[in-house]
Amino acid sequence: MRERVTAGKEVVIEGRLWLLGLLIFAVFAVFVGRLAQLQIVEGAELRMRSEQNSIRTVRLDAPRGRILDREGRVLASTRPAFDLEVMPSEVRGAERTYRAIGQLLDTDTAGLRARVDRRRGRERFQPLLVQADLPYESLARIETHRYALPGVITEVRPRREYTGGDLAAHLLGTLGEVRADQLERPEFQTYRQGEVIGQTGLEAVLESSLRGSAGGRNVIVDVAGREVERLDEVDPIPGSDVTLTIDLDLQRAAAEAFRAESPEEPDREGALVALDPRSGDVLAMVSRPAFDPNAFAGGVDAETWRSLTKDPLKPLQNRVVAGQYPPGSTYKVFLAAAGLETGLITPSSRVVCPGSFWYGNRSFKCWKKEGHGAVDLHTSLVRSCDVYYYQLGVRLGVDRIASFSKAFNLGRLTGIPLSDEKPGLVPSSEWKLRRFKTPWYPGETVSISIGQGYDLTTPLQLAVAYAAIANGGTLYEPRLVLRRRRSESGIDETKPKINGAVPVKPESLALIRKALAGVVEQPGGTGSKARVPGVPVAGKTGTAQVVRLEHFEGVKESKIPRQYRDHAWFVSFAPAEDAEIVVAVLAEHGGHGGSAAAPLAQKVLAKYFEKKGVVPPPKPIVTSNTPHEEDEDPLIEDAPEAATPDTAVGGSDAAD
Amino acid sequence: MPLIDRRLLQNFDWTLLLLASVLVALGIANLVSATHGTTSGDLSPEVRRQLVSAGLGTVGLVAALLVDYRRLERLAIPIYLASTLLLASTLVLAPVTRGNSSWLTFGPVRLQPSEFSKVGLVLALAWTFHRHPPQEMRRLRDLWRPGLVIALPVGLIVLQKDMGVALLTLLVGATYLPFVRVPWRAWAAVGVAGAAGLVGLWSFALAEYQRKRILDFLEPGRDPLASGYQAIQSKIAIGSGAMFGKGYLEGTQTQLRFLPTQHTDFIFSVLAEEWGFVGSALVLGLYAALLLWGLVIARRSKDGFGAMLAIGVVGALLWPAVINIAMVLGLAPVIGVTFPLFSYGGSSLIASLVCIGLLLNVSMRRFMF
Repeated sequence: MRERVTAGKEVVIEGRLWLLGLLIFAVFAVFVGRLAQLQIVEGAELRMRSEQNSIRTVRLDAPRGRILDREGRVLASTRPAFDLEVMPSEVRGAERTYRAIGQLLDTDTAGLRARVDRRRGRERFQPLLVQADLPYESLARIETHRYALPGVITEVRPRREYTGGDLAAHLLGTLGEVRADQLERPEFQTYRQGEVIGQTGLEAVLESSLRGSAGGRNVIVDVAGREVERLDEVDPIPGSDVTLTIDLDLQRAAAEAFRAESPEEPDREGALVALDPRSGDVLAMVSRPAFDPNAFAGGVDAETWRSLTKDPLKPLQNRVVAGQYPPGSTYKVFLAAAGLETGLITPSSRVVCPGSFWYGNRSFKCWKKEGHGAVDLHTSLVRSCDVYYYQLGVRLGVDRIASFSKAFNLGRLTGIPLSDEKPGLVPSSEWKLRRFKTPWYPGETVSISIGQGYDLTTPLQLAVAYAAIANGGTLYEPRLVLRRRRSESGIDETKPKINGAVPVKPESLALIRKALAGVVEQPGGTGSKARVPGVPVAGKTGTAQVVRLEHFEGVKESKIPRQYRDHAWFVSFAPAEDAEIVVAVLAEHGGHGGSAAAPLAQKVLAKYFEKKGVVPPPKPIVTSNTPHEEDEDPLIEDAPEAATPDTAVGGSDAAD
Repeated sequence: MPLIDRRLLQNFDWTLLLLASVLVALGIANLVSATHGTTSGDLSPEVRRQLVSAGLGTVGLVAALLVDYRRLERLAIPIYLASTLLLASTLVLAPVTRGNSSWLTFGPVRLQPSEFSKVGLVLALAWTFHRHPPQEMRRLRDLWRPGLVIALPVGLIVLQKDMGVALLTLLVGATYLPFVRVPWRAWAAVGVAGAAGLVGLWSFALAEYQRKRILDFLEPGRDPLASGYQAIQSKIAIGSGAMFGKGYLEGTQTQLRFLPTQHTDFIFSVLAEEWGFVGSALVLGLYAALLLWGLVIARRSKDGFGAMLAIGVVGALLWPAVINIAMVLGLAPVIGVTFPLFSYGGSSLIASLVCIGLLLNVSMRRFMF
């Protein structure tokens, strides 16, 4: 190796070697610069992305607690529902996939295509809901074809189900996505955007009990975003079951009562609430028209929402607690109590009713043009004589009427655990001055004495007040929740809560009860349609005026446009002594309390006593020879027996 | 005649050996992390394979430095032809893996002949440039000899549908271009012809997935889950390393298999994630130092073949590294090319160590005449 073994020529590289060196230096300098850009400049952002990419937390929704009636029957439960989703990043052959989904679901998928295409960047790795709660057949069809449709996912999620549909819609309430303004409040700090929470009714009130707590699963996902390994899992804790005071049978009977007799007629509108006067337990609560809360379970669609909110009949309003109506003649019991307590009247003191009442140069008519003749307290309630109460009202004055009304819990919230409750209104001279900057006119006292004018009450308020009459003076806070199951062991019982006692002597209340029993049971009473065989029923009819009736003077009720017809009230309890149930009914634009509202209350009362076994189920007794049973119209029916001329004609107990 | 005498030992290039050894060692340590947790045992099969390859590569390195490179010159053409023949055999024998058929399988041993053909190519190019010095090449047609030497393996690789390696082989040949004296006007003509060739290549020669890779490079968000996904994930992995990295064995991207071909082509991103800017810049610095040291060896070499051989070896080590790092850093499309010495891949490591052996050979015999 000492001599050159090959025959090469002299190669000159000196001159150009620096070029290659410079190239190497430059290329590696660029690389180091790029590293600096990625690692130092963009480092933090990219590190965050790397952490989000590798471990993904999958939320496991807690099934919402069930809502049960007082006997443990299901009003709202949670069932597994299958949602169809598309993972945009995994779809292969978009056109074919969407066409296949459209064929399998029998729907138009043009909108879906656009929604998927709108997804950009990281959104493409998040599933997009195509259809919630797939029907079983669609699920089966999707599942059999899914192997050929990458990116199409079926997710099982708990979904709220309201067994009775619209049966107790307003009471149970609705679910909905948590709103942005809610998320800002501290009580919602554990909620995430998009989470479904109770928005109205008991779903909202009982949210903390029903919600449970979501679990989670940490998974490692692979390149395609598919789960490759489960790291750990925290099981969701299901929400607590809540048992209500509601009796499903009574709730059904109440809902049924509002149903129209013939299918072509629309269902009645109004509200019914049944209470146990011994505890304040709400046994039934129905508001009509209603809606199907199931439509809200997976997020209500825009069209349904629009039609519900635009509907002039306000199907979303819970009329039992949020419907404020003039109480009409049902208000008379409070004046009677005030008269007895203040000593302005005695049970035997009489007022002669000539059919109208002159006050301040104006005539106030009794509903009965012919007049009731000489009327004592008992008869004034049984026949619902207006003149008796015009006179009593004027003697009491507006402010004494107001203070007694308030003592019966009118004009303020009953405290029922529903957020949409309204307080109603009990007018006073001070209130009028404050509200209208004008003094109270004595003539206005005449109107409020029979529950017209400014007076406003909710059906629930009247039920609570009548419950106090029925139970000897105790005002209960309406109770809806009997107990909540906190966990397997812990049960949270709710105790009845007393809001106070009415400042009326028990003897006075007994007199009023006797008169109210007369309203239903006595010949000539306005509430005879509420009779339940075997049980003495007490009650009071009422008519809340919508427009001044002069306008439709002499026009037959059925000819008056529906929206101008009066609201019909009936507030009742049974048995008349030692009452177990109070039922308040408002039939919106129903006409007169005795004919439109009392039969609805009767159905619930009958159901209650049928259940108790007190009354055998109604048998088709031959009734042709018993005029009492033939109640086409209570007053006509009562007429032949009535000794007094004031029961001769008329289907109305309305005043003015 | 002893193969090694005292003078050879005195002139032995410890700097180069050290640089190469550190890079290989770091590559294996990195591979341990990249494959960490895939098997219950202490070392993954990939690491074992790489260790065996490093051993074989060391044998190759020693073999390449023992024989005087001037004697190797006479063997240059036979070696070149043998490696080209091996390359050609893949067309007949190789199974198709991941779109290209560049592997030869002999039982447990899998060879990538294109890696070894680079050694043959470098030897053949040094041989031809020694006979026809680049400074005498003044016209394009003077380049026909080296052009022919390059065209033979490139043509075979194109037939294997491995465009990345074909481009790489062309670039290795191009390493010699600074030394030829062809005027710039001629290169302009080549540029035009080349552009026309690229258009033709795109339209007729490239497969769908190859076009897609290039499009993915031009617009990375185009399809994040397909080939562009690797590049995006690689960028995320590198960036998430930040200044000092997440620590050895702590890289979440790489530990969680987000980089599908991480221990072959994207291995550098594992390093960048776990060692951060400091670690990855250091490795790049080491590699650049090794290449520049190769140029120093070329300059010191007293004979033309040695210089040309050293330059060829620098080219063979430079270009795959450039393409690989550029790809990993999101600066070039995804091309299946290794980072020499550092990447996982037996053929590449052995061939790279043989190249280092050749450099050492030239370096230690620089005073031998």
